[in-house]
Formats: sequence, C-alpha cells, structure tokens
Amino acid sequence: MSRVSIVGGGNVGANAGFFIAEKGVTDVLLVDIQQGLSRGKMLDIMEAAPIRRYRNTLAGSDSLSDIEGSQIVVIAAGAIRSPGMRREDLYTVNAGLIRNLAPQIARLAPQSTVIVATEPVDSLTTLFFQQSGMPRARVLGLGGILDSTRLRVLIARELDVSTEIVSAIVIGRHSDDMICLPRYCSVSGVPLPHLLAPERIAAIVEETRTAGDLVVEMAKRSSSYYAPSAAVAELADSIHMNLNRIFPVSIVLDGEYGVTGAALSLPAVIGEKGVARVLTPELTPQEKEVFMESARKIDAAVKGDARGARAGGAAGGAS
Amino acid sequence: MKVAVIGAGNVGAKAVYYIAEKNIADIVMVDVVDGLARAKALDFLHAAPVRGYEGKIRGSTDFAEVEGSDVVVMTAGIARKPGMDRMDLLKTNVGIARQAAREIARRAPNAVVIVVTNPLDVIAMVMLRETGFALRKVVGMAGVLDSTRFRYFIAEKLGIWPGDVQAMVLGGHGDEMVPLTGYTSVGGIPIGQLLDPASIEALVTRTRTGGAEIVSLLKSGSAFYAPGASVAKMVEAVIKNEKRLFPASAFLRGEYGFSDIYLGVPVIMGRNGVERIVELPLTEAERSALEASARAVKKGLDELAGIQEG
Repeated sequence: MSRVSIVGGGNVGANAGFFIAEKGVTDVLLVDIQQGLSRGKMLDIMEAAPIRRYRNTLAGSDSLSDIEGSQIVVIAAGAIRSPGMRREDLYTVNAGLIRNLAPQIARLAPQSTVIVATEPVDSLTTLFFQQSGMPRARVLGLGGILDSTRLRVLIARELDVSTEIVSAIVIGRHSDDMICLPRYCSVSGVPLPHLLAPERIAAIVEETRTAGDLVVEMAKRSSSYYAPSAAVAELADSIHMNLNRIFPVSIVLDGEYGVTGAALSLPAVIGEKGVARVLTPELTPQEKEVFMESARKIDAAVKGDARGARAGGAAGGAS
Repeated sequence: MKVAVIGAGNVGAKAVYYIAEKNIADIVMVDVVDGLARAKALDFLHAAPVRGYEGKIRGSTDFAEVEGSDVVVMTAGIARKPGMDRMDLLKTNVGIARQAAREIARRAPNAVVIVVTNPLDVIAMVMLRETGFALRKVVGMAGVLDSTRFRYFIAEKLGIWPGDVQAMVLGGHGDEMVPLTGYTSVGGIPIGQLLDPASIEALVTRTRTGGAEIVSLLKSGSAFYAPGASVAKMVEAVIKNEKRLFPASAFLRGEYGFSDIYLGVPVIMGRNGVERIVELPLTEAERSALEASARAVKKGLDELAGIQEG
C-alpha cells in the first residue's frame, strides 16, 4: 500500500491520519519530534481498527527520515493562531520550519506530492516551492478547499438542502481577502443566484470570510482542525486513487490571470501527479484586481522573509 | 425504516442491491412470478456475511409484505418488445400499476412512492389517482438517470471525476429530455467555459440516446445498473431526509406553466417525498422543448383516459 506521511502530530496531523484510516486508502506515517507523541496517537487509532475495520496501517515516528519514499507528504507542523491573531502573524515563526523541512522532503520523497497545511498557507506554499525545487504541480496548499467547504455548509444550511449537492468555489488568498464566487456556486447544477437573494448571498460570503476566525475564538486554545484534516484526507484520496477530482487548492501560479510566482488558490484537477490541470473561471475586473493584490501581498511576505532569513527550527509538534 | 420494491426484474433487483449496500433500511421485494423475488432475496442474503448487510431482505409473491413500508419503489411492468403495440404495453402496465396502487394505499398509507415503470409520467398519474395519496408522495424516477448519464459523458470527455459534474435535465425521459446546459457545471464552472458548443451538443445527443446505446450493445435487454443506482439515490434521500435537489417527475399545479400532469422538473426530495418544486428561468429553446415534452405526456394521458372508458 502507498503511504501518506504527515509531518506534525498535532490536531490537524493526527485527525488527518484518522480520516485517512476511515477511508482505508493508504498507510499513514505520523512524524513528530516530540518523543512518543505520534506513536501514541496512531496506536490509539489502530486500537479502534477491529471495530472500524481499518484495512491500512497507521504508525508514528520521531524521525523525519522515515518519510522516505512516501507518495504524499502533508506538512501539518508549526505554530497555530490564538484568538485575535491573523494567519499572516504566523509567517515568521513558521517560515523557519518550512525552510528546514523543504530540502529534506525533496531529498527523502522526491516523487511525492506535498500538501502544505501550515498557516499562512499561501505564503508557505510559495516558500516551500522555492526552497524544495519540486515542480509546482506537486506542491499544494490547503487554502480554498477549506473556504469552499465552509461556504458549502453555509449555503446548505440557508437553503435546507444536503451539503453534498452544493458545490462552491472560493479562490485567492486563504485570508480575509479570499474571493468567493457565488455565481459559480451551485446546487445540483442550479447557480446560487437563482436560489437565494443577493443580500443573503452577501451575508453568507461574509460569514465564510470569518468562519476560520470564529472557530479560533470559540475553541480558545486550538484553531480549526476537523475540516482541515478532512480536506487533507480527500486530497490524499484523489491523488492516491488518481480520481482527478476538482478542489480549490493553493498552487504556485504560472501566468494564470497574469500572476506568476506566488501561490494562491484556484480550482485544480487533483490526480496521481498532483495538480493535473488548473482551471481558470472567468473573473470580473474587480475580482482580478483583488487576486493580483493578494499575489503582491504573498510576494512581499516571502521576499521580506528572504532578506531577513535565518536558520529555522526543526519539525515542530505544534497543534 | 422499510423499503418495498415491487417487481423483481433487473431494475428492481439492482435497486435492491444498491439500497442494501447503503445499509439504510429493511427491504422487501414483491413479484407476482412465483419464487422469483424469494430467489433473488435469498441470493442477496447469501452475500450478507461478506458484505456486512445490516437490514433484513425478503422476497415474496404476497403484497401483504408491503405492510408499513416508508418507501415503495414501483418497477413492475412489461418492457416494450420490438413489434409490440404501444397501447398494449400501456394497458398491461396500467393494469399492473392499479393493482399495486390499491395494495400500497391499504398496506403502506404513509409511504412515498417512486415510480419507475414506463411510460413513467402516465404510470405516476395512475399511481397518484389510485392510491389517493398526497401529491408530493408520488414521484417518478427518470431525470436522475438522464442527468447521471449526462454527467458521466461530460466527466469522460474532460477526464475528471464524475462526482464533480453537476447537471440538470427537465422534461420526459430519453428522447424527450431537455438538458439545461446553462445549469450544468464542472466543479462549479459552467460547462460553456470548458467545452465548445459542438462538443456539448454531441454529449447531449449521446445522453438522449443513452438508453438505446445500451440496448443496442446488449442485443437483448436494457440498462439496469444506472437505473437501479438512480432509484437507490432517491430512496436514500427520502429515508435520510436529505433534501437533495433532483430532477424528477412531479405532479405540477402551475409550475413551469403546466397543470395536472407529471413532468420532469427539479425537486427537493426529503422525508415527505417532493418537499418543493424548484422553478428555474428557462431560455426560449428550453421552454419550447419542455412544451413538446409536456405535449407527449398529455397524449399519454389521453390514451389513459381511453383505457378507463373501455
């Protein structure tokens, strides 16, 4: 069986292992520098295997070198937000981690597809791409998939329909400048504007923008992790099974909407080679302007970091 | 929860299979052919240890088994064979539907009835009248099948996962279906941004003749996997009260400008059957295609009136 390695044994990492186990898709290796932590968590999950009928093996390790040969590597390590913090505030501390991990992952699992789940995801996906030298198709960030799944939930709640039949696209930066595209949101193919009044759509879009902040505020000591780890499992499934499913993910842009070099979310076809194809829905001039402005912010963050860069920390066990 | 499937032919049995795999209800199959439903139920039960089925599965010739069902799927009826007169088919299937309807009304008065037997829009009307059920409780399955075929063909063309394609179709089944390409999207992106009009038209044509394509390949018999899966999806929406938006044949009272007929329209399916009919703005071409579809259904209803008098 192929293997997904998850770096960082906190809530996102461990629950991604859990969701992958439930799907029974691949083996999982959870790596954390904190002695015993990842082995303990994976053992806990494996002890449910007879009841939940897991077919795959989940293991833990304290050593990054054990990720060798993985098909998929998830980066779920790093510091998380406290209430009141913006995702961007985490850049300096987590950039060190990415600088440390990127060359090692490129060396140990050169054929892998890497999923960056550490915040701020777009800047760190850009940084990982630069530092690893891996092709852009195999470096993705957990961005728009989270915003779009939150938007789907809110649309389904508003219309009292099943979440599964709601599709939604959120592109751009995984931050307060995310771009929700209600006209590309649909329920069994019926575009949202046919089903919901403009002011209700605006309210839902606004709620989506702050949905991640709300979880941080309510949970106080943790940020959201169920939705992110479920999203990781879906991406891993689509890569491993070569499903070519479409998810908005953060990817280093190569001319899309005139942007090159920064990672931002766009709907992408995800298969065994990572991103098989990037889709570029038609945007209004205003949406394009927001998109380009978000790219400039990413560029500024990553370039600023390059100037003041110093050796980063090791793979962290943050949750 | 309990689901009854009337008719243990290929579509009925395959619907039972897909429902059984979902582990959402006890299932009973009823067929007038002696031993057929029992044999197929037994075959399913033999697979239960391997597949881990949780519900009971029974087969019988006795309509008493329908007792207390939450959902009844009507698949019984004869299929049209080459050379068979249309009216003969109609008379036979109307007769079968009437008998089933009386039994359903008596034994499962709270059930949602999903009609699959052809001619679908006419048999649904027979079922509605003979059961005396509320309008929302009797619905026909055709649009889910047409749209799943359309979705598959689009996914195949673009090389992407079929589950990411959403599509809506209106009107009658097969030749009379009205695909709404403006309401068809891939990962939310309208199909018109990904395929040129000629390619879309080719996929529409293939969808219209999707059933015939299978028939011509099989030589004898017709499709039953996709129809069975489509039935199971609708059953699940009712059992789990999912409020899914499906294209389905529903009784219209002015929606889309039609009254007193069954016609394929977008509906929200839940515990009460058709929870709501969704009205969408249509283009002129779509509207006239839908009118043609409605005329065909009306013609069928006129024929039905002829049977009732005779």
